[in-house]
Amino acid sequence: MNPRDGATLVARTSSVEATQRLAAALASLAQPGDLVVLAGDLGAGKTAFVQGFGRGLGVGEPITSPTFTLVQEYVGRLPVHHVDVYRLGQLSEVIDLGLSELLDDDGVVLIEWGDAILPMLPADLLEVRLTFGVADDDRTVVLRSAGRSWLRRMASLVEAVAPWAGSGSSGAAPC
Amino acid sequence: MLILGITTSTAQVGCAIGGHEGVLASTHSSRGKRHAESLAPSIEFLRRQARVDLAEIGCVAVDVGPGLFTGLRVGIAAGKAIAHAVRIPMIGVASLDLLAFPVRWSPRLIVAAIDARRGELFTATYRQVPGGVQRLRGYQISSPDDLAGDLEATREDVLLVGDGGLRYCDAFADLANVEIGDQAVAYPSAASLVQLAHARALREDFVKPWELEPLYLRRPDAEINWSTRDVLESQG
Repeated sequence: MNPRDGATLVARTSSVEATQRLAAALASLAQPGDLVVLAGDLGAGKTAFVQGFGRGLGVGEPITSPTFTLVQEYVGRLPVHHVDVYRLGQLSEVIDLGLSELLDDDGVVLIEWGDAILPMLPADLLEVRLTFGVADDDRTVVLRSAGRSWLRRMASLVEAVAPWAGSGSSGAAPC
Repeated sequence: MLILGITTSTAQVGCAIGGHEGVLASTHSSRGKRHAESLAPSIEFLRRQARVDLAEIGCVAVDVGPGLFTGLRVGIAAGKAIAHAVRIPMIGVASLDLLAFPVRWSPRLIVAAIDARRGELFTATYRQVPGGVQRLRGYQISSPDDLAGDLEATREDVLLVGDGGLRYCDAFADLANVEIGDQAVAYPSAASLVQLAHARALREDFVKPWELEPLYLRRPDAEINWSTRDVLESQG
């Protein structure tokens, strides 16, 4: 298997709170230098996911959308850098965000709409794709581990998302 | 003409004021990641120490990198704001040139290396010339191991300055021809910035505030593929 393609896991949630609890469970696995890419349509719950993830890392202050500030930073068990690239037009603008510096800061970097700038990102990342389900608050959360750092944690990931494990076609595929 | 120099391309924030009589005052602080918080108070402190009014400044010189973008955007934005407000021109100087200039009396090959983070270095090579240094090639991005290989191949005595050499000193430890400069030459000097800018100001080698840009060594040309976002917006 090519570590760049990675392995996927599927989880299902039926409320914003459940998505946030799932995110908090994943945050318990976070290590310094981690990169989490958030994908999904407007309103899919990318910011809500980061809020849960931040809570899981012990961030006390409220986490808000960084759409207009581009990057916001929080202090938790690890520093949290919350990035949103929605307003960017050129890949070159990603350089101005100083992602290399953020990733080198021994914290966790979470990038909303990060799937749009994959060519600018390192190979090691966890992609979280949120899609709408049948009911208004239903979400399918597809987690894709790419790169060695996240693939090594696949067993822990499976365990962490077990309460929300989906029975989707791709299913849980630990390696 | 009095020049205000600002360097923020590394973990350090530096500024200086000077002119034909030399550098009147300078401040440097490297207690990392406080660029936005410390730059404006540093400039104000400097201005008071030098007993200079902002209206007396004739040019703003800014370190344009290559370097860390979280810092660069603070220094470049502040420099442009001051130049706009006082209606004065600007001069951009490369960070690596600022590292090489203070060691210009060394007869060795001078290599400047800035820690670009995530295992990369911004580097350039210089040689002593009367009155300063001359850069031999373009600015480059390199891994510490690749740079070590290049330095070994020169078979010349090398002085390696900048925080890149210090961070990755293990990569250069086995090279008998390479000496790594200490903390004193780890970061670009704001005093050197004022000195180098002064020479260019005498030649009226200015840029307008809106023309000054950071130095990008690797700038992708492509637009972000926003198919998802644009579909959503056209529906909205």
